[in-house]
Parts: sequence; C-alpha cells; structure tokens
Amino acid sequence: MIIIIDALNKHKFGSVLREMHRLRARVFEGRLGWDVKVRDGMERDMYDDLNPAHVVSLDDGGHVVGCMRLLQTTGPHMLADVFSSILDGEPPLRSAQLWEATRFCVDTKRLTTGKTRNSISYVTSEVMVGAFEYAMKAGVRDAVAVIDPVMNRVLTRSGNAPYDYVGSAKPMGKVTAMAALMDCSAERVASVRAFAGIEGDVFATEEEALARFALSQKPKPVPALSGDGRIARDLEEYFSQQMLSAETPDEAQAVMRLMSAVTEQLGAVRKP
Amino acid sequence: MKLIDLSSVKDIDVHVGSYLDELCDSLEFDYVSYATTDPVSGDVRGYANYPVEWVQHYTKQEFHCIDPTLYRSALSIAPVDWSRFDHDDKFRKVFRDASAFGITERGITVPIRGPYGECGLLSVTRDCTDDTWEKLKAHVMGNLQIAAVHMHDNVMKSGVLAKTMYRPALSQREIEILQWAAVGKSQQDIGDILSISHRTVEVHLRSGREKLGALTTSQAVGRAIGLGLIHPG
Repeated sequence: MIIIIDALNKHKFGSVLREMHRLRARVFEGRLGWDVKVRDGMERDMYDDLNPAHVVSLDDGGHVVGCMRLLQTTGPHMLADVFSSILDGEPPLRSAQLWEATRFCVDTKRLTTGKTRNSISYVTSEVMVGAFEYAMKAGVRDAVAVIDPVMNRVLTRSGNAPYDYVGSAKPMGKVTAMAALMDCSAERVASVRAFAGIEGDVFATEEEALARFALSQKPKPVPALSGDGRIARDLEEYFSQQMLSAETPDEAQAVMRLMSAVTEQLGAVRKP
Repeated sequence: MKLIDLSSVKDIDVHVGSYLDELCDSLEFDYVSYATTDPVSGDVRGYANYPVEWVQHYTKQEFHCIDPTLYRSALSIAPVDWSRFDHDDKFRKVFRDASAFGITERGITVPIRGPYGECGLLSVTRDCTDDTWEKLKAHVMGNLQIAAVHMHDNVMKSGVLAKTMYRPALSQREIEILQWAAVGKSQQDIGDILSISHRTVEVHLRSGREKLGALTTSQAVGRAIGLGLIHPG
C-alpha cells in the first residue's frame, strides 16, 4: 500500500520516515555507492528539508519497501543543482506541470524476484502508480526521474518505459545516473497496473498506513520472558486488544509506546 | 509583516486583477486570490476578488498571519484541498468570520515554489456539493497549475531585485524547438525533424513557455525573438 507523506502530515509518520531514510541509506550508500550523507544509519540531504512529498510503499508486514521523493521543478530541486552534470551544463526544465522524482528505490533484500505482491517488480510498479496518480490529481503531466540503469531496465520491462531522457548518463558512485522523462497519464498508469497486476486503490488512509506499519514494529519476544508464559500471553492479548480498539493514529501510537516501554522494563528486570 | 494589495502596484507586467477575474469566471469558481511572501521583508503581497468588506475585515484582523490556506499550503508540493486542514483555533478564527461574510470553507490552494525559496499561492473557492467539487477539481487542476505559475512568475518579475535575477535560462533543446516553432513547424514536425517524440517536444515547449512567462507558444516565440534567443524565422 502507498502513503503520501509530506510536510502537512509528517508529524504522524515520524517512525515511518525514519525507516524510509534507513532504506535509502542501505540502497544509495550501500548498494549503489553514491556519495550521500548517512548519519545514524539514515540517509538525508538538504532537499529533505525543503518539504518534499514522499511516496512510501509498505508491504503486507508493514515494512517500508519502496520510496520516492517528489519536488516541484519551479523551485529548488536536484537536477537544477547537484545532478546538473547529467544535463551537460544545460539549464533544467522548469514547469508547474513537471515534477522531479529522486531517491527512487526499493528494498531488494526484503523483496523477491518474480511477480508476486512481495516482488521487486510489484513494489517498483506500485510506487510509480502512486506517484503518477498523485501527480495527475495535482494537475501535473510529466515527471523527470533521476534513476540508475538497473532501475531503467526494470521500468522498461514493466510497461513503464521512459519516453525520453534529458542530458546524458553520468557516473555516480558504483553506477551511472540518468534523468528519465515519463508522462503522468492514464495510459501509462493502466499499462503499469496491467503489467504488475495492481488492482484497485493503491493509496491507504493515514490510519490504515499506521496500523500496517505497526505490524512491523511488534517488539521481538523477550527471551527472559519465555519462562513466564502466562504474563507474556496476557500482555500480548492486552496489547492486541488495545491496538484493535485504537481509533485514531494518536491512540495507536500511544499503544506502541506503552508496548515498547513495558517490554523494555520487563527485559531490564529479567536480565540481572 | 504587511499585507500589500497587488492591484495597487503600478509596474506589474500583468493586469493582475483582470487576469484573476477572468480565470475565476472561466473555471467556474466563486472567488480567487493570490498571495506570495516576500523572501526578504516577509511582507505578504496579494490580490483577491472577495467582497471588499471581507478583504477589509481580513486585513484589519491581520488574518494573513494565521490563515492556514497560506502558511499550511506552502508546505505542500501538490494543491491542498482546504478539507485537509486541522480545524484548530486558527482555522476556526478565520473561517468563522469568513462564513459571516458568505465565504465557504470549500476551497483549494495551489502552491508554486520559486527559485529563491519563496512560495506563491493561488486559491479558489466555490460553494457547492461534494460531487460537483470533486468533478470541478479534476477538470481544472491543470489550468490552475498554469495560472498559478503564470501569476507567481509575473509578480516576482515585477520586483527590482528579481528583475536582474530572473533572466530566462533556456536550454539548447528548448531554444531549438522554439526556433522550429518560429519557422512555422508543428509539434509533430519538430519531433520528426529532431528525431524525438512529440511528448519530448511538448515537455520542452511547456518548460520554455513558463521560463519566458508566456501562456502560448506564439507568445513564447515572440518573447524569445525579443530577447535575441532565436531568429525571427
């Protein structure tokens, strides 16, 4: 499922965004070897401070498995600045109806090959569908995306081939980076959906996304508790009851906090 | 920070008022307004075709300091439907008074980020049913984006500081395409001549038009000739 996180709702999604920045660190520093800043295992740059919109994909277990960052091309954005080498010294495109997509990645470690819901190909397509549909609703007609050749191949093979490129591919870390043009159109969305078998609404409500994310945050069973099965079972039941009856994201987060606090306390008591 | 009425500013390159009034009519909205914050002074410069009594009340109450349609919308990259705002004290304060002046809570604000970190905000409202509103939005969103960037760029260009910094930087591709347009070639022809897709031609044309502050390709060609960027065909 897809959730759009921007500066208007990011206060509700702090932990989701932290997971996203961790995924970006694993992909861009680790796998692609780009020269990016990673602190505390999270990759962030100045463009994250410019209130971008993040398209975030959560898998069935609530893990952040894909993301993309969107900025307007009318204001500061990466192709105008740090990726300008891709444009061979030419000024960037600038239009209210053209958005820039950067930091597009999926979790290749967690996801599988093939075409299931948990595959690289499905999540890549889901993030793209989310971004295109969000853009179309905003009256935006095209996207320029900074991608690497591997991503380019994935897109081309999944009914989502860029219709053109601007500038030329340039070395960036272990791979090259290129700027691909894609129309944000019903035809493209239909083609991507058909290829990946994505049906229905890809967007989750804020409540749905938080509930799904909470699944990935379930505290691991504390080994010291294993001898005391009854307490652990009671607690687990209590928390799942609370989680089920939580009606707002705030309530769900409060349960999460309580859960980790209690687990921590129990762990600390048992350890000595 | 001050609230400045743009229709009283003389040297603006566009007839702000009439442009927005026409936009309001043609896209079937009740009211339209535009505002931008000066990145240097923090002043809010704006124009609105709201009833004059509301504009006076808004100004007197200094609502521009708490109006969520301004300070919240600037945080988004996409147009923000006002239904997305929390109904907090600030929201209630502005919209309780607004409803007394017959202004609805049903509106949308299109934020345009500019090159200096400033943000232009085009807002439209219409009192109608949910159904009509959703249909209207889907229908006019592209036009709203075009109008918002057109307004914003023209207002920014009117500043003395901005005038020197706002030289249109067109790429070779954009210039090349405008040059072929100047000699009368269609988008399809240009694509064939340059061996690129018509979509690529279109995306560069749209970008070139906006950089030149033009609404149509003919206008962009005219301005590009005027600036010596291309030859007159």
